[in-house]
Amino acid sequence: MCPKAPIILTALIMDSFLWRAILGAALLGAAAGPLGCFVLWRRMAYLGESLAHMGLLGAALGLLLGVAPIAGVAAVAIVAGLIMARATDRYIPSGTFIGLVGHVGLALGFILLSTMETVRADLMGYLFGDVLALSPFDIYAVAVGGAVMLAALWLLWRPLLVVTVSRDIAIAEGRDTRLADLAFLVLVAGLVALALKVVGALLIVALLLIPPAAARPLAKTPEAMALLAAVLGALSAPLGIAGAYVFDAPAGPAIVLAAAALFVATSAGAAVQQKITRSG
Amino acid sequence: MTQPPPLIQAEDLSVTLAGAPILDHVSVQVSRGEVVVLIGPNGSGKTTFLKALLELVPHRGRVARAPGLKIGYVPQHFARDHALPLTVARFLAIYAPNEKGVVAAALARIGIEELAGKQVVTLSGGELARVLLARAIVHRPDLLLLDEPFAGVDLAGEATLYRLIAELRDELNCGVLLVSHDLHVVMAQASRVVCLNRHVCCEGAAGAVIRDPAFVQLFGPRIASELALYVHHHDHVHEIGHVPEGADHPHGPHHG
Repeated sequence: MCPKAPIILTALIMDSFLWRAILGAALLGAAAGPLGCFVLWRRMAYLGESLAHMGLLGAALGLLLGVAPIAGVAAVAIVAGLIMARATDRYIPSGTFIGLVGHVGLALGFILLSTMETVRADLMGYLFGDVLALSPFDIYAVAVGGAVMLAALWLLWRPLLVVTVSRDIAIAEGRDTRLADLAFLVLVAGLVALALKVVGALLIVALLLIPPAAARPLAKTPEAMALLAAVLGALSAPLGIAGAYVFDAPAGPAIVLAAAALFVATSAGAAVQQKITRSG
Repeated sequence: MTQPPPLIQAEDLSVTLAGAPILDHVSVQVSRGEVVVLIGPNGSGKTTFLKALLELVPHRGRVARAPGLKIGYVPQHFARDHALPLTVARFLAIYAPNEKGVVAAALARIGIEELAGKQVVTLSGGELARVLLARAIVHRPDLLLLDEPFAGVDLAGEATLYRLIAELRDELNCGVLLVSHDLHVVMAQASRVVCLNRHVCCEGAAGAVIRDPAFVQLFGPRIASELALYVHHHDHVHEIGHVPEGADHPHGPHHG
């Protein structure tokens, strides 16, 4: 059916690097799924997108200062997140301010990167990602980081959920909302840092939004939705990378398209099931 | 009779929003075993007072909570989100982790066991009001703060639920601070009424408050005399000498 299938099989058998790339991207997707559920529930897609844009500036600064770009991205995203969290609706809507900061980061980051001779060839990779171009160190960082983020989400699950369901009730009943807010920000910044070279600054938010959206029609509790989002997020990686091999396409966008295909599948499935329930 | 120490005590709370004074030096306290009802016309600052008490809006003045005070809060508005799948049972369980049976017990106490598996977004207004009350008692609070909790409930159900609040006060041995617009039902259940219009206009037992000139001025003589009749028929604690024909014979404690 697929003329290139033998090529993938050979590649998988021969190339342990490819296996590592798939494993890293899958762990990243598994962490992005549950975290993305909170982005969806708290309606913070715009914040996530702006933090991802800031990631480009972070990578540029990391390269300029001679530290690992992944550390630069994380640091800049956390600082930017703290600034954005202070946005109020006083003169302009807070979303406008958040978008403003994010786009400044994207523009500045792009200019800085394009002045670096050695990086210029990689620019597309920073914008749209290329997991197959990652260094072994980066792949391990993505895999370990993804696992750490999953563990952190497991530990912080209840405080995060309490703030999400009703911030007023949480504050009124004396629950600590600052820890949950800060943890959420750090986790999103961390994900941006890990995902920048996998799917790129312009597509990171897709990793946060699409698997949870695909999980929503199938879930009856927040926990079920997070678990499904993790599974679908993880599944997007091997599907996307396989697709990238078959069609000789960049791997980052292919992972996003694979996630979108899963979304179409679950939405269609839910619609069909609803029709059967109604007519039956 | 000596009053137990208050569960929560607001002293001189003032709130200003965009330069306009919303609350002006309001002092209210609630003790264990009391049902304190906060009444006042629209825009009198009832909800803002509750939010200031709960540190949900910035304020001047002091709020003292009893050490380790557990609060159960029913907000006036509860935003539901279709993106968040949440059954009623799971909703309650978030607030009572690791305690077996408390969710079922809270649902049973409010009489809504059958809602346990329903999605929160599909609840009717009346069902949501009951679920929010069940959620507020799931961790056995010392103090219930209820902001127009039964706005979406029909009249018959509302009367039952207000009686239920008095029962819960006894069962949980808690204090209750209730914001309500429904003067009739409220008067029957209140141990103390605080009448708010930016500042505390008058305060005391229901029977006394409705004859206070400040109350009559706020709600008009017609409502005051109607309520006086009502309280006379329903009040089993306070002796009322006679039912005033109108508002022109105030007997209650005077205030500023």
